[in-house]
Amino acid sequence: MKKKLLAVILSSAMMAATLAGCGGNADSAPADNAAQTNTEDGAADDAAVDNAEAPAAEDGAAEEGAASGDSIVSAPTELTYIFADGDEGAKASMNEIVNKFNETYPDITVTIEPGNGGAYSEFIKTKDSVGEFPDVMEMRDTAMYVRAGKLEPLSDDIVSLFTTTTAFDGKVYTAPLGGENTNGIIYNKAYFDENGWTEPTTYDEFIELCQKIADQGDMAPLVVGGQDIWHMGFWFHKAYNDQVLSKDPDFIKHCYEGSKDFSDETVKATFEEMKTIMQYAQEGWVSTPDAQITTFLVNDMAAMMYSGTHMFSQISQADPEFEMGWFPVPSPDGKTRLVGGGGVGGLAISAESAKDPDKKAAAEAFIKFFYAPENYKIYCETLSAIPATVDKPDLAVLDVFQEVIDANETADDLAPMWNGRVGENELPPDFRNFMYKTLIEVLQGTRDIDSACDELNKTWKVSMESFNPITGVGIE
Amino acid sequence: MGKTKRKFDKPAFLFIAPAFIFFTLFIIVPTVSSVYYSLTSWDGISPDIKFIGLANYKEIFTSARFGNALKNTVILTVFISIFENTIALGLALIVDNVRWGKNFFRSAFYIPVLISGIVSGFIWKIMYNYNFGTFNAVLGNLGLDSWKQDWLGNSSLTLIMIGIVLIWKGAGYYMIIYLASLQSVSTDLIEAAQIDGASPWQRFKSITIPLISGAFTINFTLSLINGLKVFDQINVMTDGGPGFTSETLVYLLYKVGFNEGRQGFGTAVGIMLLFIIIVLNTLQQKFLRSREVQM
Repeated sequence: MKKKLLAVILSSAMMAATLAGCGGNADSAPADNAAQTNTEDGAADDAAVDNAEAPAAEDGAAEEGAASGDSIVSAPTELTYIFADGDEGAKASMNEIVNKFNETYPDITVTIEPGNGGAYSEFIKTKDSVGEFPDVMEMRDTAMYVRAGKLEPLSDDIVSLFTTTTAFDGKVYTAPLGGENTNGIIYNKAYFDENGWTEPTTYDEFIELCQKIADQGDMAPLVVGGQDIWHMGFWFHKAYNDQVLSKDPDFIKHCYEGSKDFSDETVKATFEEMKTIMQYAQEGWVSTPDAQITTFLVNDMAAMMYSGTHMFSQISQADPEFEMGWFPVPSPDGKTRLVGGGGVGGLAISAESAKDPDKKAAAEAFIKFFYAPENYKIYCETLSAIPATVDKPDLAVLDVFQEVIDANETADDLAPMWNGRVGENELPPDFRNFMYKTLIEVLQGTRDIDSACDELNKTWKVSMESFNPITGVGIE
Repeated sequence: MGKTKRKFDKPAFLFIAPAFIFFTLFIIVPTVSSVYYSLTSWDGISPDIKFIGLANYKEIFTSARFGNALKNTVILTVFISIFENTIALGLALIVDNVRWGKNFFRSAFYIPVLISGIVSGFIWKIMYNYNFGTFNAVLGNLGLDSWKQDWLGNSSLTLIMIGIVLIWKGAGYYMIIYLASLQSVSTDLIEAAQIDGASPWQRFKSITIPLISGAFTINFTLSLINGLKVFDQINVMTDGGPGFTSETLVYLLYKVGFNEGRQGFGTAVGIMLLFIIIVLNTLQQKFLRSREVQM
């Protein structure tokens, strides 16, 4: 009997260990990293978005060292560089810029390592845990890595290259790769022209337009890639921005403080707005992946999609003849609120790497080189990214993309996504996904709004026990 | 009878040592260290690991998300354990009794086992697709448009649809075990029963089933474990959705541990899963072993 029991326990342990054992090992992180950046003063409490508006760096400054023949490093230096390479455009443009840099700086070699774009955050985490944290990288989970002391603050001359950057206690750790991906409606212009429809200028006109398309019955008004919950985030942010942030930009902070919660009328109004909009989504939206929404648009299965500027190149590639139009969806109060400005992510330098003066100099030279207008232009044009630099590259872009850039200039409000904020309005790590999944339950009718709000409150309360930037829990 | 003194068997030790060292380093040590991590709020990257006692376990018992994941795991495990074994036994009986093409059928039924979980998930996801999938296209061509479903998007169908994929992929493996067991049943007993006038059903129920009960024990144990640890297909087909409909314990462990930067909580879920597996496995072994017939 004992043998049997032992066999059962061992076989169970073997199976569960393969699951539970994935926990990794903190010891594998370089031990002296902790001392590199004091996480106490790296706390996000005082983080804020700086509107630097600093003077542009002199043209060609990035290449001065190389051009003058004075090497910026004392010995040949190699840098590893990782970015989210899931997008072919990102891969091509990064390769081109890195090749140019390696030619310009013969004593520095930047080596691109595969970045596993599909699960980039996990990939970087794995690289860190096995002691292969790159010297320069595209950083997305900035707050987490800043707290862990893994990133080196950027020098002032790099920070001054950008119109907006995100600071943690006065220090900037990321150079934004582009302005935040501005969402808007990308629509079938030929179909609109055929029916004599024009771009709506108010929220009510937008809903009326959706209804007209639905009544016509030849295609769905909207295509939504609801299987990818981050795609749902595009729409959710719009409604949340309209209903919650417009009335209380510090709503999350107030939830941490306990003066507000998710039973707030503005949160309920967010769900209501989502229900109104999503009734015009195509059938099967909840199991449609984001990767399929282009197919719907170019094959006349849906008239509009709500997504970012990265879709322009995908649509053009899927059907070069497709006539695209773009417009922002105004808020019910008549204002235009857009996702925009520099976000918290971007290129960053490893704190460990920066201990070597040559590597630090090389990494800074690479970042300056990347954002030199003639190089940054390659990236922005390929990815339809809105330039984040003060010294804007001269872009040859599609008309629709120019419309987005213009809309960014004239919008009533330009802010990062609700989950991209730092400091006292930073969300607990798991709350974004919980919100989106709860939203899907509401939209599918498996949960009512009141019950959703209750669940959000319960989860918020539990999350706050392990993460609260107001009290410092989970920050130190 | 004096006690025989056991000698240190050096060659045996050398043969065992590599496996023992690897097993200890990569299985035992991580399992034991997981217990420690489950008592921390570690985010998975920070060198500072804060000890928080039983807070993660407290959260597990109060979290609706864990309860939902446990419910989904149990539903999926029970569903596939029953149907996978029923279908596998059916297939084994077909292959055992078929007069020609025995090897062909055995191979054909086994082929899905060779396909990786990720690939099978992708294949079925495409077939289930509402707008472009095979099932709805066939229904449409048959004029049954009203039968079309959002197979993976309909909350009440999602788990069943995932279960069907798991059964399709796993039944062939269990079939081989049943088949081996069926072929070991003595024909003398069957023939004796036949002479005594037992019907085919009586022979199957009273002779075959008791004699292959060992295979039942193995297969139910394996399908229980496979059901509890299902991950690939959920990751590929639904990402735990829609909403939380198909989020299982293993998927919850992965999402919170790796995606949401809560390695400590994720590890606590893993430890809970370990206990659930031990309890269920023990109960199942106790029940099934008691029904085995010793020849």
